[in-house]
Amino acid sequence: MTPLLEIKNLKTRFYTQDGVVRAVNDVSYTMDSGEILGVVGESGCGKSVHALSMMQLIPYPPGKITNGEVWLDGQDLLTLSEEEMQKVRGRDIAMIFQDPMTSLNPVYTVGFQIVEALLLHNDMTKKEAKYRAGELLELVGIPGAKDRLDDYPHQFSGGMRQRAMIAMGLSCEPKLLIADEPTTALDVTIQAQIIDLVKKLQDELGMSIMWITHDLGVVAELAHTINVMYAGSIIETGKIRNIYKNTKHPYTIGLLGSLPRLDDAPGTELVSIPGLPPDLLALPEGCPFAARCEYRIEQCLVEKPPLVEIDGKDHAVACWRWEEIAGIRSK
Amino acid sequence: MAHINPEKFTVTDFAVREHRSLWGDAWRRLISSNTARLGMFIVVLFVFSATYSHYFWEYEPKKDLDYSLKLKAPNLVVTEEIPSIHPFGTDKLGRDIFRRVVHGGWNSLRVGIVAVSISLFFGGVVGLLTGFYETVTMTTIERIVLFGISGFLLGMLSAWISNQIIQLIAFTILGLAAGYFDNFLAGKWLRAGFFGLIGALGSAIPALFVGPSIAFICGTLGLMSGVLLSMALDGRFFSNVMMRIMDMILSFPGYLLAIAIVAFLGPGLGKGMIAIGVVGIPVYARLTRSAVLSVVHKEYILAAQSVGESHGRIIFRHITPNILSPIIVQTTMGLANAILSAAALGFLGLGAIPPEPEWGAMLGDSYRYLTSGAWWAVLYPGLAIMLSVLGFNLLGDGLRDALDPKLRT
Repeated sequence: MTPLLEIKNLKTRFYTQDGVVRAVNDVSYTMDSGEILGVVGESGCGKSVHALSMMQLIPYPPGKITNGEVWLDGQDLLTLSEEEMQKVRGRDIAMIFQDPMTSLNPVYTVGFQIVEALLLHNDMTKKEAKYRAGELLELVGIPGAKDRLDDYPHQFSGGMRQRAMIAMGLSCEPKLLIADEPTTALDVTIQAQIIDLVKKLQDELGMSIMWITHDLGVVAELAHTINVMYAGSIIETGKIRNIYKNTKHPYTIGLLGSLPRLDDAPGTELVSIPGLPPDLLALPEGCPFAARCEYRIEQCLVEKPPLVEIDGKDHAVACWRWEEIAGIRSK
Repeated sequence: MAHINPEKFTVTDFAVREHRSLWGDAWRRLISSNTARLGMFIVVLFVFSATYSHYFWEYEPKKDLDYSLKLKAPNLVVTEEIPSIHPFGTDKLGRDIFRRVVHGGWNSLRVGIVAVSISLFFGGVVGLLTGFYETVTMTTIERIVLFGISGFLLGMLSAWISNQIIQLIAFTILGLAAGYFDNFLAGKWLRAGFFGLIGALGSAIPALFVGPSIAFICGTLGLMSGVLLSMALDGRFFSNVMMRIMDMILSFPGYLLAIAIVAFLGPGLGKGMIAIGVVGIPVYARLTRSAVLSVVHKEYILAAQSVGESHGRIIFRHITPNILSPIIVQTTMGLANAILSAAALGFLGLGAIPPEPEWGAMLGDSYRYLTSGAWWAVLYPGLAIMLSVLGFNLLGDGLRDALDPKLRT
């Protein structure tokens, strides 16, 4: 079966006054249809930029995709012109953004904005679109959906706005929905509701979802596969079980270790990874994580480790010493 | 998505609030302010008196003179000496000042509206396009159009030097071609050389008919423009060309430029309007551009792009309404400014052609008689200018408070 999405060697650069920011470095992966993929990493690691690159929405200039292919359903998106991309966006890929407070246009009603998205790619009348918009709002669980179509975004709460955004993203039944930290700006109970909603929608509609987040807890509940990104590269990828139970990369180990746990004894200090991520303006030659890694050897500083498959198909890691580290840790 | 079952999702009842529009809120804030109400009152009075007098109170300035009533003080009752009522007195030709002030309002209103429309339209378009395309990937058609405009503007200097219209056409075609063949000749220097050569030849050959030295200058300009156009593949280039032209206009003192334009076009109210309008273009261009830049990276613009909306729709449906408030405020204040500029031009004898009533011209005609005690000939037109400008400024201030998004939560 051919994958829905295949990204090959994607490279995105930002040409700034201070130099070239290497935001996305040789990212390659595939995604099946119906899959939920979690993309995890700390802020500034290129998660959002790589998603925006796929949609060709990075600000140009200064941003530029310098290399790579993004195959969606047999079509390389990066070779499409802006005109063709406008047809793909929304119809084939849709995106939900982080801050629901600013992702709806304040001067139009929520209904208007969903109707507009519907009319762009569907052959329907305004009346049908408005009816459909009501259905969509109901689908995402907004109480009294039909009456709230004429509300302005400022009359919606944060969680409701994010639901409205999801409705907008779903409007044209995209094959791939990219959710860029959709729960980060929401409080925890609303987060849980949104995650449940997305799960339910995915069950019903069967689309693929790319869930970008820095919160390992969120994707643990949701994703089938996880990509861990660091400094613009994927450093570990695999089925969720492998990532959580059979963690290989020292960075992922550190990330998981830094999660606060309910069963921690009171007063236990949180574990953190020492140091800071490397400056994307001056990426080190070797492994980007080497400077913060307790297991580093000479080779890590001079040569960047490739992403190699381990334990069969469902797990890959970019580390020179993953086998030894597993041994060291099990002692 | 017929297979979705909405009943799976629970719907709870809750109170639906009354729908309130953004503009309704702004209007309520506007009329709750005393100064804004005063400004609005003056503006309405001014607009009403100007329009009413123009349409329903006939006045023929050419026939209106009566030397027997020269420079009479204001009178409210008919006497033997003065057989008619002149609430504001009469001027040096015995014309009724009240009538001329009221009719002058129509001219001021016209100047204000036409001049501000010119500034707003051209400035607004420049601001929207330069602000938006600064960081957005252009479609082929957009690139052709914007590069064509850039070529046309770059060609203006050459066309002016060689006095040949064909230069403009040559440069425009150069721009269009640079926009269309964006993938043509991938090598940077090859591309620059090719377009530079085409530009140089296209510019120098028509100029040869004028003279070799002109041809040399135009050829150089063509070469530079061709190289520039070939190197720029993004909107930042277009935006730079436009904004540098705006800077050029802005670097002239406003009145001086207006006077120069009027001197070039010849006096007259219509030409004055064009002059004042052109001087105002960069103000609106910069204001619009900065406002666009402040919203273009908001997530709702990204969201609109991500559902596949076209650039035209994003610019006009999503960006424009969001940047309207500063522009409305500036337009209101700009009306005051235009009225003032028109009066200044009129005072210098460059605006309305006498005997057309115009406040600035009336001041210019009468200030010499101030020493002989005819204060009314200067006071009333001066008051009219002051009040109308004050009215628009107060209204503008009120609008700024009413529309200020910082007050909004």
